[in-house]
Amino acid sequence: MSKCKFEHLIDEYLLNRLSEKDKESFEEHYFNCSSCFEKLRERDIIIRTIKNNPALLLEDKAEVRSSVLASFKKELAAFLTPRPLALAGITALLILIVIFAIVPRSQAPAPNFFLTDEETVRGSSITLISPVIDMNNIPSSFEWKKLGDNVEYQISISNHQLLWKATTKENRITLPDEVKAKMSPGEKYSWQVKAFSPDGTLIAVSSRVQFKIAGR
Amino acid sequence: MAHRIDEDIQELVVRYRPIIAFRVRKALGPQNVDCEDLVSEILSQVLEKIQNGEFRGDSSLGTFVYTITSRRIVDYIREKTKVMKYAPEPAPYPDPQESLEAREMSERIKKALERLKPKYREAIYLYYYQELSREEVAARLGVSTRKVSELVNYALKLIRKELKS
Repeated sequence: MSKCKFEHLIDEYLLNRLSEKDKESFEEHYFNCSSCFEKLRERDIIIRTIKNNPALLLEDKAEVRSSVLASFKKELAAFLTPRPLALAGITALLILIVIFAIVPRSQAPAPNFFLTDEETVRGSSITLISPVIDMNNIPSSFEWKKLGDNVEYQISISNHQLLWKATTKENRITLPDEVKAKMSPGEKYSWQVKAFSPDGTLIAVSSRVQFKIAGR
Repeated sequence: MAHRIDEDIQELVVRYRPIIAFRVRKALGPQNVDCEDLVSEILSQVLEKIQNGEFRGDSSLGTFVYTITSRRIVDYIREKTKVMKYAPEPAPYPDPQESLEAREMSERIKKALERLKPKYREAIYLYYYQELSREEVAARLGVSTRKVSELVNYALKLIRKELKS
């Protein structure tokens, strides 16, 4: 059988993929070309046999799967010999050492969760009442909003440095004369209150409020 | 001379009967009981027209026979449509039981299919059974379209080899 230029249309024709026009041209062709007709007839029987016996071909799918599984098992078995297994163990150990011993050291230090005197925490806070604006005279007392019973407050007053620090269970405190003496008109001061529970745990911090004592 | 014409007619029938039969079965479905009658009728028409001098050699004899076949198929479908309103839907892929030869071929093809290596079986399963395009088969198998053509063509070659053995 010689090769015919229409031969590639055999499958397309039998699988009904040709347009009506191409189908008619091909039909006219095989009425004239015995080579194409013989191939067409043979291919038709092959395709119909395949169509009617898919199980013959599907069995190979199981074979393909089983052959893939078999080769995987083979590879696994080859891998699970003592030498590669020992190598894998050593590699895993080295990786664990790197993860747990070396990597943490090279990282930045963990954040510090202890508050210094100059730090504040967000969340629970104390509202300062007085003084919160500029004063004509040196204030004689400091007052803030009460948080609850059994709370100890620590007040600190600063200008460029810490001027005075005191504790009280009240929500106000009178400024001692010796501290008043250190304060002078025209200067800026700031104050802050921290609240502690009876066991000494910091429970609230106020914002640091500034006030200025008017000059004479 | 009459002997010569008889020989020509014999040759014509031997050559065109299978082609006409193939075309008719493809159009009407091999289960259609009228197929054989229609084929005989078409052959008679062809011989009659040739004897009446209607074949003047303007086209090839093949094209002449094809035209008569196609017209008769169209007429048959039209007649049936009138009677039944709708022509019967032909079964697309009936078992090739129409001839002893086809049945024998089919048995040999089955044997050849069983012997094929999985890669060829998978390719022809997707291409002929599932009717995927070469591109779709290529995507499924993770190979090139060219490789799909090679797999299908080689599988066909092996089946043909079995048919010729």
